[in-house]
Amino acid sequence: MNDPLETARRAPERRPRQSFELEETGFNEVPKRFRKFYRRWRGPKDKLAPNEALCPVCKVVIRSTKELRAGDRVYCMPCMSRLELVEENGVLLAKVIY
Amino acid sequence: MSDESNPHEFGEADFRSTVHSFEFWFEAVEGYLHGRPYGVSAATKEAELTERQRQALITTLCNYCVGETAALDASSGMIGFAPDRHAKIFLATQVVDEGRHLEVLLHRMAQLGVAAPEAEIEKRANRSLLKFKDRLLEFVDARDWEASIFAQNVILECLEFTVFRHHAGTADPVTAEMLRGIVSDERRHMGFGENDLGRRLIAAPHTHDRLYKIKRELDTLVLDTFSEALGELGVPHAERPDLEGDYLAAVARLGFRS
Repeated sequence: MNDPLETARRAPERRPRQSFELEETGFNEVPKRFRKFYRRWRGPKDKLAPNEALCPVCKVVIRSTKELRAGDRVYCMPCMSRLELVEENGVLLAKVIY
Repeated sequence: MSDESNPHEFGEADFRSTVHSFEFWFEAVEGYLHGRPYGVSAATKEAELTERQRQALITTLCNYCVGETAALDASSGMIGFAPDRHAKIFLATQVVDEGRHLEVLLHRMAQLGVAAPEAEIEKRANRSLLKFKDRLLEFVDARDWEASIFAQNVILECLEFTVFRHHAGTADPVTAEMLRGIVSDERRHMGFGENDLGRRLIAAPHTHDRLYKIKRELDTLVLDTFSEALGELGVPHAERPDLEGDYLAAVARLGFRS
């Protein structure tokens, strides 16, 4: 018999990741070919999409062509940081990896 | 097949050599400085300032000049003892950024009617910031990489990043646009410092205690400077940006307790 709690916990891993078409949003602090991967953060009320994470170092929003999940690694080019996504209290956060 | 324009698919070594380069720097600064002499586009118009506002802005700009001169002197000196070529190249780009910052700040002071900026800086500079500058340059003179990168690229850059970002949100249009260009540069400087030091502390954990002592020594100077700078800008206590949020979060990520 399946444990419904266990099933619910595993469900996100089994669900295919969403894909995203990225377009430039006016962020201009990295070379042109990379600009669509970043956008400005609009403050604490700014809601991040499933393919976005906030850089804790420089407060720029990092964007990916795929939905982000815990364990993913992304780069913040504006401040040159390497980040890993971690889940804390049900929220996905980016942490710096040195 | 990997997409060369997707930064998240880079290997770590490729990422670092890409971002610590003049090629990257040229293309990055082109985005926000091209067509903006002294950091400001021609379409941005001056707002009328009262004499009190003008004097307060001049004092603030004098202090920004002290911070930027400290960073210019320190980052140029640090190239000589930087631990590797990537760090040397990155610092060379930082020297150019800091020189530009000083230039645009002096230009803005001239626009505000300051005929002798050196004399004004001498008269108006924040004493805590001057002490911080002296201490930073002592670390550089001693060729102490960890202390220099900590004081300059973590502490000073974090202070500037927070204050300039906040000031850009409330300043007159010309000053605001100039400051936004500086903040864009500060992201690189701050990120370089935190990441370099973070790697170094993992490799040499004993460095931690020594840097913690330096942090405790410099904290007062940084927080005094911050408080005075916001006082000059007329920001009420309740509306002050969270330096502690930015600065203490940065040092906490590096493992320093407050």
